[in-house]
Amino acid sequence: MRILSLAGRRLAASLPSLLIILIGVFLLLQLAPGDTVDALLAQMGGGGDAATTAELRRFYGLDVSVPVQLGNYLWRLVRLDLGFSAIYGKPVSTVILERLPATLLLMSASLSFAFFFGLLFGVIAARRVNGWQDSVISTLGLLFYATPSFWFGLMAIVLFSVHLQWLPAGGMESIGEGFTGFTRVMDIASHFVLPTLTLGLIFLAIYLRIMRASMLEVLTLDFVRTARAKGLDETRIITRHVLRNAMLPMVTLIGLQAGTMLGGSVVVESVFSLPGLGRLAYEAVVQRDLNTLLGIVFISALLVIAVNFLVDLLYARLDPRIAREGS
Amino acid sequence: MELTRRAAMLTSAAIAASVNLPEAALAQETPRRGGVMTVHFATEQRILNPSLQASTGVYIVGGKIQEPLVDLDAAGNPAPCLAESWESSADGLTITFKLRQGVTWHDGRPFTSADVQFTAMEMWKKILNYGTAVQLFLEAVETPDAYTAVFKYSKPMPLGLLLRALPDLGYVSPKHIYEGTDIRQNPANTAPIGTGPFKFVQYERGQFIIAERNPNYWRPNLPYLDRVVWRVISDRSAAAAQMEAGQILYSPFSSLALSDLARLGRDPRFEVTTKGNEGNPRTNTLEFNFRNPILADIRVRKALAHAINIPFFIENFLSPEYAKLGTGPIPSVSTDFYPTTPMPQYPYDKAAAIRLLTEAGHRPGAGGVRFTLRLTPAPWGEDIGLFSTFIQQSLGEVGIRVEIVRLDAAGFLRTVYNDWNFDLATGWHQYRNDPAVSTTVWYRTGSPRGAPWTNQYGVADAEMDAIIDSAATELDPVRRKARYADFVRRGNSELLLWNPVEQLFLSAFSRKLRNHANTPRWGSSSWHDLWIAP
Amino acid sequence: MKRFLRDYARSPAAVVGLLLLILVIGMAGTADWFFPRDPLALAGRPLQWPGANPRFWLGTDNSGRDIAAQIFHGARIALLIGLVATSIAVGIGIGIGAVAGYYGGIVDDVLMRVTEAFQTLPNFLLLLVLVSVFGSEMSTVVVAIGVVSWPAPARLTRAEFLSLRSREFVEACRTLGMRDRQIIFREILPNALPPVIVYASVVMAVAILLESALAFLRLSDPNVASWGNLIGLGRDVLRVQWYVSAIPGVAILLTVLAVSLVGQGLNDALNPRLKGR
Repeated sequence: MRILSLAGRRLAASLPSLLIILIGVFLLLQLAPGDTVDALLAQMGGGGDAATTAELRRFYGLDVSVPVQLGNYLWRLVRLDLGFSAIYGKPVSTVILERLPATLLLMSASLSFAFFFGLLFGVIAARRVNGWQDSVISTLGLLFYATPSFWFGLMAIVLFSVHLQWLPAGGMESIGEGFTGFTRVMDIASHFVLPTLTLGLIFLAIYLRIMRASMLEVLTLDFVRTARAKGLDETRIITRHVLRNAMLPMVTLIGLQAGTMLGGSVVVESVFSLPGLGRLAYEAVVQRDLNTLLGIVFISALLVIAVNFLVDLLYARLDPRIAREGS
Repeated sequence: MELTRRAAMLTSAAIAASVNLPEAALAQETPRRGGVMTVHFATEQRILNPSLQASTGVYIVGGKIQEPLVDLDAAGNPAPCLAESWESSADGLTITFKLRQGVTWHDGRPFTSADVQFTAMEMWKKILNYGTAVQLFLEAVETPDAYTAVFKYSKPMPLGLLLRALPDLGYVSPKHIYEGTDIRQNPANTAPIGTGPFKFVQYERGQFIIAERNPNYWRPNLPYLDRVVWRVISDRSAAAAQMEAGQILYSPFSSLALSDLARLGRDPRFEVTTKGNEGNPRTNTLEFNFRNPILADIRVRKALAHAINIPFFIENFLSPEYAKLGTGPIPSVSTDFYPTTPMPQYPYDKAAAIRLLTEAGHRPGAGGVRFTLRLTPAPWGEDIGLFSTFIQQSLGEVGIRVEIVRLDAAGFLRTVYNDWNFDLATGWHQYRNDPAVSTTVWYRTGSPRGAPWTNQYGVADAEMDAIIDSAATELDPVRRKARYADFVRRGNSELLLWNPVEQLFLSAFSRKLRNHANTPRWGSSSWHDLWIAP
Repeated sequence: MKRFLRDYARSPAAVVGLLLLILVIGMAGTADWFFPRDPLALAGRPLQWPGANPRFWLGTDNSGRDIAAQIFHGARIALLIGLVATSIAVGIGIGIGAVAGYYGGIVDDVLMRVTEAFQTLPNFLLLLVLVSVFGSEMSTVVVAIGVVSWPAPARLTRAEFLSLRSREFVEACRTLGMRDRQIIFREILPNALPPVIVYASVVMAVAILLESALAFLRLSDPNVASWGNLIGLGRDVLRVQWYVSAIPGVAILLTVLAVSLVGQGLNDALNPRLKGR
């Protein structure tokens, strides 16, 4: 119950930001050259006459003034109605719900991957500081960080899908195979291996750097010295005392980077033809589908807020001081 | 000019050969039933109903589910589909279609002349792009019985024009689904119901579309395939990888990268060809904004054309396999209308370009630059990007600085055809079987501002308008062809628009496919006889 | 200063980073001398492999342009993108962070709401919108990258200001009657700057990567020889002529690496507490 009220308060505090974003993006897109009817005409390949074009503008609600459009949009939003998607011809909420699983799966898989290996390699590097393990891990980390993700993804497809034929080249699952249960899960998992690696590597690089640095910092703190002086086993010191404290900056970072990760998924989803929110957002921008774009902005903002909320909870668990303050 | 005529003859011979001789060795095989056809679907569409939107992106899906009144046969001639026969009155004001009997919609209702009447009056005439122009003078469709549809026109309609237009602009939709509804919002737009060989099953946005065999199809014992699956893959490199991994069997309409197409063409598992795309020729355009006084001078326009080495571009950047020197707005594959006499041309001649520019009073200034132009390329098609860079490079050589303005599709259409905020634009002109459908609008004045791919260049040529108008209502095929030769001559000599390259789309096929690419608009056709070898 | 240099030179990685960065700057500086022609001009047949033609030791791209010339001229663009976008991002960040951190209260609240708004919106998404709206001229792209990258420096500056504003020396300035602007820019900012400067290396690295991602989606300026554009162009010939995108890819990788290593080196040298790790 306490968590719920906490979440409610958090959401309420984020409302102004949310409103700023939505109105900002709405007004920004008004300045774009061309509207969704122009994008549709481009798809049709011409031949639309003036009357049908005017009718299309009416159909998409573009025949009224900008303030009225914005007012209509916000009024609908109050009633939790995200409007109608121009590209997909169905309610935006339906479209987004269809796309959400792929993005959530991709983000959580990449995050877990980056978190786990970032932690692992960060700890190894810190424990063998300036040794060869540290050098190798740090160098790899820097290389991963500096590699453009789309380039890595394309190269991974060439190697693993085309030459070795180990993994599928794209898509979310095999189509028309009728897989169910466990086979389906494995099928989807195999489709997500390469995208997860591609999106996760850059974050892995960041996490391992942060982890290594904060490990080193914590290792110099007094309580570690005390523990060592007590003659405690080194592994025990690391897992019991150091890790817990050293993880704090990493956890903070997850919250800060949730938005970045969602942005990065635009490129990754496009390389791997994943039906996710990032790809949808790109599509919506190109097609000038204002309702869909605003819907995505709304949902991804909620997503970022939710991640930050979870991070706060996690933080409280990890950092005994905060937990005590809270109770 | 001898060269172009010979080239034209070669092409028509090649087409005849390609469509008349479907791989002889394979003709002996017995068609195999079953199997799943997987297709590369590059751009998702808002609707899938070809009665409402005429574009290859819709036909590639909707053309398997719904059918037109008239289709094209292997030689490119009108062939019966939902209409079995047709005839025109002598004055060209009445055209009567006899419809096929015993055809049912996928939901079991019979197909009748009422469906034709409803689709023609409510969709082709009111909503369908290009349809609204072709059917502008359609007054009514009378239905004396369930299998006769009589089209009444207020101005003479050449039968040839209508028959060439109908394979693309003659798809029929079920009246009982659409009548009394808001046509644009009808759920059948994305879950189409037709009479075709495949029944729509499912559309997962961003992922795939599935259609399955129609057991009640009117062609007996067809189709061979169990299913067709379209996979949404927007990234070209990813699509090529999926093709190689065997996840797709067909990539239509040059949707892969040119280098990947060239590579797949050398791979024995694939066939890369222009076959089956002869009905969808296009020319690359260079559009001039006449509101810019520099470009209003014909000497400058000619100089631009002379400065660009098109044969070099085709040889090195595209490939002679699918691209060749353009000679005007009517492509050479259109044997019914391609002019038989040479037309004014502007071959590569750098000295002439420089002379013309100097004559026009443009001397090199600082850094050798005579003047600067903004070039706005259309964002589709890899060749357009390459061509815009080549224009920039070529014009730089004669002292014209070119700034490329990169815009997305909506931005491009708005900037060029509505805001007129460009100097040069380059894109595709898609030829649709008859110059009256989508070609003359590029030259005719009077299109409303904002209509894409129409004359928005600020040029009015009364002689041109007169030629276009008289050709459109000319009933005699021979005189009509002569009028369109006048059209090309006038367009080329005034250089209202330059069509320097002529291209056909490339398809990539798996070698397992049989009976593929056997009509000039195969990608859009119904695939009722397509089968897959084991 | 000497000690700082000694501290910096102690880390081999930092030295390597500095050498790489000097190399990139050297390429940018000598581009006109080695390749006086327009790097976007048609140089020869397209898609000649590196070494196949002695005139083009890194080959030609699919528009028949000399890749080596584009790499050299591209170094300028990369540095320009990095420096200008970073200056914009850090400039806005410092301004907003300083004001928010110094004044606190309602000013801080409002500014942090705006910052949060920017952070909540995926930055690449905002970049896409900005570029589709305002066009893909290089100046627009650079400004857009700067505009989407400021929230992190702003938060960093704010945090520094929050901890510095209650220090004795600031109190002393206040009692002396110094004006707010003087206190912010003359007194606090110099002390708050080092971590922000170090963080600027991260912003710069990300800026170069963001431009390349835009170019991959064909949304960057085609009139300049940027590495990102070359990668975007090479994407079409990736499978056979992979060198077209591999070479600028490596150039980006090395430049981003150099910037990160230098940033880390600065961090270590400036942060005596962690010295010797």
